Amino acid sequence: MTSPAAPRARATFDQPIVEVDAAVPLLHVSVAVKAGSLLDPVGKEGTARLLLRLMRRSGDGLSADHAEETIDRLGGHLGGDVNRSTSAFHGGAIARSTERFLDFIEATICRPRFGRAELSQLLDETRAELIERLDDDRSLARSFWVKKVFAGHAYARPTSGTLASITRIGLGDIEELYPKLFTRGAARFAFAGQITREQAQQAAARIADGLGRDVPVTADPADAQGPVGRQLVFVDKPDRTQTQIVIGGMGTLPSDEDHTALHVGNTIFGGTFTARLTQEVRAKRGWSYGAYSSIPFDRRRQTFSMWTFPQASDAAACIRLELELLDRWVERGVTARELAAAKKYLLRSHAFSVDTASKRAGLGLDEELYDLPVGHQSRYLARVQGVSLEQVNAAIGRRISSKNLVVTVLGTHKDIGSAVRESIADLASDEVVPFNQSE
Amino acid sequence: MAAPSRTERLARINQHAPEHGRTSHVESIAFGPSLKLERFKLENGLEILHLNDPSAPVIAYHTWFRVGSRHEKPGKTGLAHLFEHLMFNEIEGLPPGGFDRKMEAAGADNNASTWLDFTQYQEAFPKSQLGLVAGLEARRMSQLVLQKPQLDSEKEVVANERRFRVEDDVEGSIDELMWKTAFDVHPYHWPTIGWMSDIEGFTTEDCLDFYRTYYSPNNACLIVVGDVSEETLLKKISAAYGVIPASVLPIEDIQPEPRQVAERHVSVEKPTPTEKLSIGYKGPALGDADHMTTSLLVEVLFGGRASRVHKRLVRELSLASDVRASVGPHRDPSLIEIFVSAREGHTAEELLAVVDEELVRAQREPVAQEEIERATARAELGLVSGLETADGKASTIGFYETVLRRPAAAFERLAAMKYVEPGDLLRVARRYLQNSERTTIFVRPQKETAQ
Repeated sequence: MTSPAAPRARATFDQPIVEVDAAVPLLHVSVAVKAGSLLDPVGKEGTARLLLRLMRRSGDGLSADHAEETIDRLGGHLGGDVNRSTSAFHGGAIARSTERFLDFIEATICRPRFGRAELSQLLDETRAELIERLDDDRSLARSFWVKKVFAGHAYARPTSGTLASITRIGLGDIEELYPKLFTRGAARFAFAGQITREQAQQAAARIADGLGRDVPVTADPADAQGPVGRQLVFVDKPDRTQTQIVIGGMGTLPSDEDHTALHVGNTIFGGTFTARLTQEVRAKRGWSYGAYSSIPFDRRRQTFSMWTFPQASDAAACIRLELELLDRWVERGVTARELAAAKKYLLRSHAFSVDTASKRAGLGLDEELYDLPVGHQSRYLARVQGVSLEQVNAAIGRRISSKNLVVTVLGTHKDIGSAVRESIADLASDEVVPFNQSE
Repeated sequence: MAAPSRTERLARINQHAPEHGRTSHVESIAFGPSLKLERFKLENGLEILHLNDPSAPVIAYHTWFRVGSRHEKPGKTGLAHLFEHLMFNEIEGLPPGGFDRKMEAAGADNNASTWLDFTQYQEAFPKSQLGLVAGLEARRMSQLVLQKPQLDSEKEVVANERRFRVEDDVEGSIDELMWKTAFDVHPYHWPTIGWMSDIEGFTTEDCLDFYRTYYSPNNACLIVVGDVSEETLLKKISAAYGVIPASVLPIEDIQPEPRQVAERHVSVEKPTPTEKLSIGYKGPALGDADHMTTSLLVEVLFGGRASRVHKRLVRELSLASDVRASVGPHRDPSLIEIFVSAREGHTAEELLAVVDEELVRAQREPVAQEEIERATARAELGLVSGLETADGKASTIGFYETVLRRPAAAFERLAAMKYVEPGDLLRVARRYLQNSERTTIFVRPQKETAQ
């Protein structure tokens, strides 16, 4: 078994996370801040994402074309990634370009030049991308589900914005958000691959010096309450032979004492190919190519959800089965045998979470960004090993509800709408929304 | 005392080898600047490519079979892919689901894929589990159990996969239509997942025939990357696979595609918000020296946001939201595929006019050396990024070994790129970007979904 990443001290800009590995001539860099789309002005969702994209194409006043050509010529890649509570630039380059690539990142983060013409260009591109997303049934179903699960909470606001919200974003919004989001106090750095500790420290210090304000600006909403009763959202799209189904409600967060136990419980329910959900939906009945459940995490309480995509004519039966499986899991928990198998899998397969320098650095960065206790990641194996059957079953019972959840079905309503509705016992509310409804 | 030589080590292994498991060393092959691949062969024809990588904390174990959808016949399309699914079912002495349970208990990360020229199975696992994985893989190579209930269920799963990837996916359905239209007689005409009616019609006998024909040690290559010594590895492999006899493989019987002499065009309506354009030019096979040069040309024109066509269509003219292109990496000549998504209010015809202008320019004017350097750097990043994990190395080795029989060909291509000159790109642009050898598809939005 591979040893987990070693415990580290709390990282700051003068103590970046560094995982040196010279086996492959590559450098990985992440510069992240502990603030994300929750700082978007209300009604202007998508601002943080636009900001990062604009930074990427304007460091030191370079034109967008010049910036793209520079990244390519260095044998590099650089992407901006915005979540609700975090924002980050993740990039990498062939090792011979290390110094020039670090210079480029510094210019991107510390010296962006925002211009009206480039923002206008970016808004046009973003609008076109949002329209193209209407082709992606899976992501459409999930976004409608998220909106309903977090209704009334800040987490319901889409990070990528909407066709309507991005039209309200102006240059002033971008200029105002930049100094709030990118502060010295909020910045965290991770380097991996072919780089020395000194190079990493110098690069982090240079970038930190270029940022203003030591005190981070954060948005810290209370936990969402989640749905009450069983609610159905049918996303109506013509000519669907298949459905995309997302079912679930509230889940957990890393500081929750139930978090690890629930992680193990979810592995048994829908986290692997031999899990209950996959076996019942896919292996026994062949209803869906994929059938999984997940419990993502953030600073505030996140969700639990099941995802399947059966043929339209199997959708109602599949929903009924999923709800039965969920009821049984919540009411009766898991067995000692299932727990032993899941632990064995999680303990041994953890090697794949730490098998490259960039993955190890990424785990360290998560520890920083989500305020996990120092050493949280390195104690993963011990935490999983220590989980008891009683803890798993208590966590499932406390954190997962089969009564308060949202069922989102993307399909053709005229074909299967009534069958889907009838498949959900004790339905508290239902609505049909067109797939291209923007807000 | 000196360490035993390879000959002595192999002699020790062969002393206890089963009937078909005597092992010989075939060759050593440089894999990049610092690593070396060793090729071995069992008496039953099974080849093993071993990359001893002490930096890897896990072992990647891939089994590549030289069978893909190119080996199917009309009416039985999708069989190679369906069979890949069936390989996770019952094995003699191990009930359905048992294979996955054992893999998960070993902490193994496993998957499989099928394409035109190959089928591959892959596992990555902590090195203590090597014996278990080799044993399980050997068993499913020769002791798979095929029963109707499992076949029926798996056919349904594959039909659902097809709905997911093709019927309800605009790009998937356009891609399928492109290959169907561009190829008349070559098996690249049909999709790897198969036509729906063929998937529904498979019998257990079809599957058993396929298994007996293609799943034999002399039609496979194992790729093992990780911190494992040659002797330990070969002992386990010889013991596990040495009991399986070789089989007589059929001679491949494929009709080459006749040269296309006139442009083909299809226009379709799809439930999508904007128009799309798909273009397919007949392109070189992966083993053709022109493949690498054509790939560089495609990078210059379409690769990333700094490429010529992206800059013109997305930034300068605001006609498109997305531009992509690739050269099919296949054993036989296939397609240079271009895909462009229009912005609302713009048409596939407008997109095609601009793409044509750029392609004609590439046939008339040499590209700048800096553009070639940019494209080469992107290719290098792609290669190096794929080599970070043991699994990535095994995939790269397995792919080039199975399609070209040159497991280190990725590095050969990269080395050759450094000598490409603008004139080379002019030549391949003129050779391959001929309208008479292309297929175009215009996709129009259905009324209900138009934005």
